Amino acid sequence: MTQATAKTETKTKAKKEVKRSVTINPGTICQPIGAMQAVLGVHGAISLVHGSQGCAAYPMRMFNRHFQEPVEIALSSLGEDAAVFGGADNLIKGVHALVARRQPELIAVLTTCLSETIGDDINGILRKIDLPTTLVPMHTPSYIGSHVTGYDNAVKALVTHLAEQTGPNSKINIVVGLLNPGDIRELKSMLAAMRVKAIILTDISETLDAPLILPRPRFPNGGTTLAEVADTANSIGSIALCKHAGGAAAKYLASKHKVPMISGSCPIGVANTDAFLENVSHLMGRPISDELRKERGRLIDAMIDVQFKIAQKKVAIHADPDVASGMARFLHELGMTPAIIATGTESKEFVADVQAVASQTGHEIKIISGCDLYELHEAVKAVGVDLVMGNSQATYIGDDEKTAFARIGFPVYDRVGYQRRAIIGYGGGINLVDRITNAILDHADSA
Amino acid sequence: MPLTLLECDIPIPEREKHTYIKKSGETIVPRCNVQTTPGDLTERGCTYAGCMGVVGGPVKDVIHLIHGPIGCAFYTWGGGRRQNLSDNTEFHRKYCFSTSMQESNVIFGGEKKLHDAILEAYERFPDVNGVFVYATCVIGLIGDDINTVCKTAAEEIGVPVIPFSCEGFRGVSQSLGHHIANDVIFEKIVGTKEPDEVTQYDINIIGDYNIQGDLWIIEPLFEAMGLRILCTFTGNASIDDLAMAHRAKLNVMHCQRSTPYICELMEEKYGVPYMPVSLFGITQTSKAIRDVAAFFGLGGKAEEVIQSEVAKILPEIEYYKEQLRGKRVFIYQGAPRAWHWIKLMEELGMEVVGAATTFGHTDDYEKIIERIGDGALVIDNPNSVELREILVGYKPDLFISGLKEKFLAYKLGVPFVNGHSYERGPYAVYSGFLKFAKDIHTTINHPAWKLIEGRA
Repeated sequence: MTQATAKTETKTKAKKEVKRSVTINPGTICQPIGAMQAVLGVHGAISLVHGSQGCAAYPMRMFNRHFQEPVEIALSSLGEDAAVFGGADNLIKGVHALVARRQPELIAVLTTCLSETIGDDINGILRKIDLPTTLVPMHTPSYIGSHVTGYDNAVKALVTHLAEQTGPNSKINIVVGLLNPGDIRELKSMLAAMRVKAIILTDISETLDAPLILPRPRFPNGGTTLAEVADTANSIGSIALCKHAGGAAAKYLASKHKVPMISGSCPIGVANTDAFLENVSHLMGRPISDELRKERGRLIDAMIDVQFKIAQKKVAIHADPDVASGMARFLHELGMTPAIIATGTESKEFVADVQAVASQTGHEIKIISGCDLYELHEAVKAVGVDLVMGNSQATYIGDDEKTAFARIGFPVYDRVGYQRRAIIGYGGGINLVDRITNAILDHADSA
Repeated sequence: MPLTLLECDIPIPEREKHTYIKKSGETIVPRCNVQTTPGDLTERGCTYAGCMGVVGGPVKDVIHLIHGPIGCAFYTWGGGRRQNLSDNTEFHRKYCFSTSMQESNVIFGGEKKLHDAILEAYERFPDVNGVFVYATCVIGLIGDDINTVCKTAAEEIGVPVIPFSCEGFRGVSQSLGHHIANDVIFEKIVGTKEPDEVTQYDINIIGDYNIQGDLWIIEPLFEAMGLRILCTFTGNASIDDLAMAHRAKLNVMHCQRSTPYICELMEEKYGVPYMPVSLFGITQTSKAIRDVAAFFGLGGKAEEVIQSEVAKILPEIEYYKEQLRGKRVFIYQGAPRAWHWIKLMEELGMEVVGAATTFGHTDDYEKIIERIGDGALVIDNPNSVELREILVGYKPDLFISGLKEKFLAYKLGVPFVNGHSYERGPYAVYSGFLKFAKDIHTTINHPAWKLIEGRA
């Protein structure tokens, strides 16, 4: 196969691949796990997954491996009887048992492919339950969308059920998306530097990176409080860092509560972070501080320092849509060549975002939306790259093609610390410069 | 003491039936192998996990195709480089196959997609010797006829295509999945090929999944006595190994929860007797080797193997025993390891203060209760709230469990060793016992525990 460059070719290729019935090495996970991550960022909240045993156990394991943290997921425990007669009894019993035993502040009830196919009306079932605990239904069947859609649906469900207009609060809503505790810490430090008060939706920076101090609290400290979720209706504006994972909540707040939303790229790299900070500055009437200018300068200094080590290197990246498109622009800023920008979640918006980068920078980018890692691997073989970026599942592509490999995304479990390191903001950019450059240098040394 | 109710279970009194404090002379067994209580903060896996994740997945030269929406395939893909090892690393566990059922497939049925997926996967990986198809929850509900699809596809591609109806909702835990996998492999694979030659000394090792290479330290012990391993079920097994397994003279059964089914079926149909063994720790491993040797009339050889292997580890084991004496352990495993390891801990001078299983049956609990000391806690299918109460209340010096419980233990300041997928294993037989002891010693004595703020 010759090098695929023209956009029409990309489209033809994408069309052909959609027809493949077998998915080989998936580029997505299912909706419930994305929703669970959103719920894990709410203080005192527990996900109750309306499904079978694996629907709780498997996502837990994935969180454990990536975040190196304990995670609680409750289960309605659907068995053969429920598959035949419906799962209402299980759900009602489950909610009561969970409240009695754990007294959570919020229970998010997540559907699965099992409960959606059975046809349980969880909204109706939950309405009949009379308990002081907040119950939020979230529809997350695994046969629609991906983990990204699941997160999007979950945060939207949170604001739909909780946001309430009570008077202006002078805060900004930031919907985070499927990022890491390190990213949220970076976000908070940027906002603090501008003296901007924010509601972070949702905040896993402490709940999924908790200190080891005894005695352990009943629920992990931190997380977005229910009062904060309610207060999002009163904020000055909303920004979703990842529009595919969180954009729906910002849109809901805009249409229902007239909270203006600003849509932009995920703040990865210089221009994307500049734009994000300008948006915050504009919305909140706060200047971009000297501290942030210095941090920007440090990032650019780092980029210039490594130019001869990484310039012109061709890169293939597979990540969630907003991270992948954000990275495309940053790779250009680094003097590298974004050769393949791929995401597992099918999205026209993603394709348009990366096309915009391509036309503004002049790079010929092979864009693959809704791709599995097998398709990515085929593209890497056809295009030929120097560096592959993806999660731990994708490392074999680097091994097979003898390219450098830098980890990004979820899950990363075969190296430590990735959940602690930001990729967003100027600080995250510095981390990425180091990560990318060292991956290329390590690879050159070992060749 | 009779059955007991943990404080956290007061709102859910049915958990009392699952919780027992051992007292000699009683014949009480905690309630087990039943549906998890709705609302539970569960640690259990599903039928699919037992069928694909445990028994089917380790088979190294077939395409494991998950028929259902994408999640279940993703969760069982690979697992790093340390579990279920095989010598086919260029394919096995590197690739994950799914039909990734979409909403329209759920509405209109997934049979065509499954059929096409089998052919497409085989077209891309024609060196495989078969395809295993696993149905997840949705498939059972929409009623895809996977048996017919697999039969048709097998005729088209010319290698076996084996359907497993292991929908997650079918059973109460992983356990039914083990049973389904045993039955299907027996019915559709075992006996379909003949070995080139058979010897009087052929054995199968049944119920070992080669976690971190367990089998690669187990097999040499039997081979040193002149035995030949025909098939390992299913760690590092090829589909042909399984097909020829019926010609063994003896099935040596290690995991006695996930594989008694196939052992009984093979005995009934092919007259292959089976022998349950524990291949953990010095005493149990030595007994296993003696028992197997006696079956083949190789008693002298057994003593040679035992003597040489024990000599290699004994001085260091004595050291660890001295260091670990009196330490209190809580063991929570899938099922059999909870009782396999009670003796092993005693060999290290430690005291087992509690034992639990995720999916044990009555016979597992009988074995636990027979082996464990008076006053010890025996609990079935404990959840994270109960585990927290036990770890805080009993203050064990060591908790042995799996990944899902690891970080809970750490957060409570409790030293922990992963008994499911191991730390720096493998942990089987003699050399593995030494590694196990070393990991236990490492975690119990790790200097950082003393630095934790607020640790008593």
